[in-house]
Amino acid sequence: MTQTPVQRPGEDGTTETAEIPAVGTHRADLGPDATTVLPPVPPGTPDDELDGDDADGLAEADEEFRPRRAGWLGRGIVWALLAWLVLAYPVNVFSPFDVGVADVDIASRAVIFAIGGLSLNVLLGYAGQISLGHQAFVGLGAFTSAFIVTNLQLSFWFAVVAAAVLGAVQAVLLGLVSLRLTGLYFALVTLAYGAFAEQTLFGISALTGGEGGKPAPRPVGFESGYSYYYLCLGFLVLVLWLDWRLTRSKAGRALAALRENPRVASSYGINVRSYILVAFAVSGIFAGIAGSLTAHHDEIIVGSSFDFRLALLFVLMTVVGGLRNRVGVVIGSAFFALLEEGAFVEIVESVVTALGFAPHFFQNVLGLPGEFVSLVLGPILLLLTLTLYPGGIGQQVAPVRGWLTGGRFDRHAGEVKEVEVTDVRA
Amino acid sequence: MILQTLNELGIALVTGTLQGSVYALVALGIVLVHRASGVFNFAQAEFGTTGLFAAYTALTLWGWSYPVAFVFGLAVAVAMGLLTERLVIHPLRNASRVTLLVGTAGVALAAVGFQFWQFNDTLIMTMPKINDGFFLVPPFGAPVTVQQLITFGVLVVASVGLALYFRSPSGLAIQAAQQEPTAAELVGISVRRVSMLTWGIAALLGGLAGILSGPNTTFTAGFLSFGAGRALLPGFMAAVLAGMRSMPGAVAGGLAVGVVEQLGSLTIVAQYVPGPREAVLFVFLLAVLLIAPKGIFVRKAALA
Amino acid sequence: MSVLEVEDLSIHFGGIKALQGVNLRAGEWEIVGIIGPNGAGKTTLFNCITGFYSPTAGSVRYRDKDVTRLPVHERTALGMGRTFQNVGLVKNASVSENLATAQHLQVSYDPWAGIAGAPSTFAEERRVAERSELILHLLDLADVAGERVADLPYGVLKRVEIATVLATDPDVLLLDEPGSGMGPEEAHALGDTLLSLRKEFGLTIVMIDHHVPLVTRVSDYVYCLNFGEVLAEGGPDEVRRHPEVVRAYLGEEPEEVLAG
Repeated sequence: MTQTPVQRPGEDGTTETAEIPAVGTHRADLGPDATTVLPPVPPGTPDDELDGDDADGLAEADEEFRPRRAGWLGRGIVWALLAWLVLAYPVNVFSPFDVGVADVDIASRAVIFAIGGLSLNVLLGYAGQISLGHQAFVGLGAFTSAFIVTNLQLSFWFAVVAAAVLGAVQAVLLGLVSLRLTGLYFALVTLAYGAFAEQTLFGISALTGGEGGKPAPRPVGFESGYSYYYLCLGFLVLVLWLDWRLTRSKAGRALAALRENPRVASSYGINVRSYILVAFAVSGIFAGIAGSLTAHHDEIIVGSSFDFRLALLFVLMTVVGGLRNRVGVVIGSAFFALLEEGAFVEIVESVVTALGFAPHFFQNVLGLPGEFVSLVLGPILLLLTLTLYPGGIGQQVAPVRGWLTGGRFDRHAGEVKEVEVTDVRA
Repeated sequence: MILQTLNELGIALVTGTLQGSVYALVALGIVLVHRASGVFNFAQAEFGTTGLFAAYTALTLWGWSYPVAFVFGLAVAVAMGLLTERLVIHPLRNASRVTLLVGTAGVALAAVGFQFWQFNDTLIMTMPKINDGFFLVPPFGAPVTVQQLITFGVLVVASVGLALYFRSPSGLAIQAAQQEPTAAELVGISVRRVSMLTWGIAALLGGLAGILSGPNTTFTAGFLSFGAGRALLPGFMAAVLAGMRSMPGAVAGGLAVGVVEQLGSLTIVAQYVPGPREAVLFVFLLAVLLIAPKGIFVRKAALA
Repeated sequence: MSVLEVEDLSIHFGGIKALQGVNLRAGEWEIVGIIGPNGAGKTTLFNCITGFYSPTAGSVRYRDKDVTRLPVHERTALGMGRTFQNVGLVKNASVSENLATAQHLQVSYDPWAGIAGAPSTFAEERRVAERSELILHLLDLADVAGERVADLPYGVLKRVEIATVLATDPDVLLLDEPGSGMGPEEAHALGDTLLSLRKEFGLTIVMIDHHVPLVTRVSDYVYCLNFGEVLAEGGPDEVRRHPEVVRAYLGEEPEEVLAG
């Protein structure tokens, strides 16, 4: 029973030969131009015909919304306020308040936390890998940077790059382990790794200065708190750019596919294992940058700062911020940074006092000393996010965000049904 | 040098086994919860810490007698477990298991926050032992306290109790609900109630671990005393050795992890490796997960 | 040279012999149908051909290249496209996003260049979007481009899946029950689509389906599987009337059933 290639009948009943380019050759020989030839859409085909819409074409949901002039003005004012808040207020420009160096340092820390949050977001949000030892990634970056500047006497700029690279290397090593384990077991490994890093790796006195800590002087030209704040902002912008391009390029799409359904992703031609490692690498790069910035922010670092509590804080920042939501993660991280530093309590209490309530609201009314607000508020917010508001801060902010970018104010924008990390391999 | 190391190994064996009984109790709770809902319970160690703090409060601040304070501590731990089930596990029952893990981590965090709230973090607390006796065990002279022996005894009793319980109608109902929730509902077993029962028992085990081991050291509010830092990771490692399934495996695993952990205090290790305990645990966990991910102390029948 | 050649393929799962000594060939531009009762091993065979399972014995050759041990994504790169029984799409993403993802191998830039945001990547992304649009127009799916896959009805998803598999620029299509859930008219239209796809793109198609009329109409050659073995093979009508095949499906004596 031989099989012969089929003669394909032409449309008028005659046999015609095919005009298909490059059929029968090995796929590997075909360059990127040898795509499947698709018939072009005839020019000038109105969208109505292609849509299969109603004949009248009215009430199409995708009719473009354009804000009125007052709307543009309103949006412009809010944008200006935001710009002022981020760029001018912390450094005392155009500010009715007096912002001291200590406050700017808090703002810098918030920015650094934001970078850290984005780092975990790549791992947890984009790749669905749960890391409970993320502080180790940051810590390694911190000590690397400190070591390079202090011991090797090299410039900060070299140090931050080295921190990023080492962060990536460390992350990929853990990534290789994650390829062999399901999600929950990998979480345990990261937990153990975090403790191991804090006690053992950061305990190697020769490299990390032991109990006394490792000095990490600020780079030339950025010694003051104000200029360092702008330095951190600059890196945040860089990280946001890289994160944005990640999600808009093939790597980001590959991650989105493999996170949900690795089988389908492979059938799309995606090398799942490779892209998981890419995610780890990117996460490590961001973490290394955050670490370097932290080291030179504090100007001296000790291993014990990178403890399990910090690991959980990272998870809080990312989940409460809203997984896979850049804006949410940045806001969430900044919020938790402010909480940690006590700034949140200060702000709330000053507002409350201004409204006429008793001062030291938290202490006197709730019996909760200011320092411990963060410890109580954090988990409450986490549990609220997991159960009631899965999109986190990102979801709450989405209507405003949509409005600010010229759309309607849609209360239901950005609705997320569940904090979907991944269940595929768990 | 070799002689010293051998001597230390002997001590490590004894000390580790006794310390391991605490981890075994924690691991039993972890395995129980995992079999019930597939959840990695990150709050398991905090059940212990909460129970400990409650017992401490009752004993030291309210002046209750030791046995009553002990029971009170257990009661508080169980209450925490039931609350967790109610407020976190039940609402998230259809979520992914990783989400649930994050949820239990949140519970752990909340517990720590609560501890800080009530006992500010500078207060160093001690809890008297049930019995202050201790002795050195020949031939290595390993120090053994009566408290540790009592803990070990409690572990044995708890294990036997659990084994018997799971043969009883109530225990069988739990297993039925774990394996076939729909079928169990159809025959009248309330899966909801089973879930609460499971968490209650797990919290009880955690509470026992906490209240019994607390007196062995001073503690403060926070991660360092008993909770996440000290007992959670070893507890999970023991559960991994049990393949997350086997209750007897959890006991064996706990004792094994206890011994392995002690290897970190051998002079030859501690001399060269900073943070030897964490290093040993990390390497051990990696080795077990990469070589025998289904666990070591697992009954073949349990896998079927 | 045949496009796809399966030789003596067997796979065992524990004690179960899911496939035993299966031989199958698909020649250039052929449409090959695979039929058989549920549990016959048809999807298992597909999984072996596409790389989701590793056979215990035997080989799979694509254009004379042994791909038996090649990972799934590399087979896709060679030109083996596949659809799934339960619709293989990224459910939380939109249709366009799925199409863009499916073009993964056609995107010329390095993933790291994409992350860095090199200028060339923007142009490439535009090209990807244009190509998605073309494919969607081709399959009459332009109006659902922005819709989330999980929100769309099953019938539409079947077409979306064809769009995504086309986006991978395949040479041979392995379709797992493309007609499932379809009534006779839809199945007929599907048959038309398959024939025109074959003609437009010069594809070879291997398809599993239960719609005997559909399979009979479009296939050049049919294999019937049962209990992991090839029960019968040949032209569609020949196989349809084969007594073993009838018995496998109907379980009755062949004389009692009027063939066709």
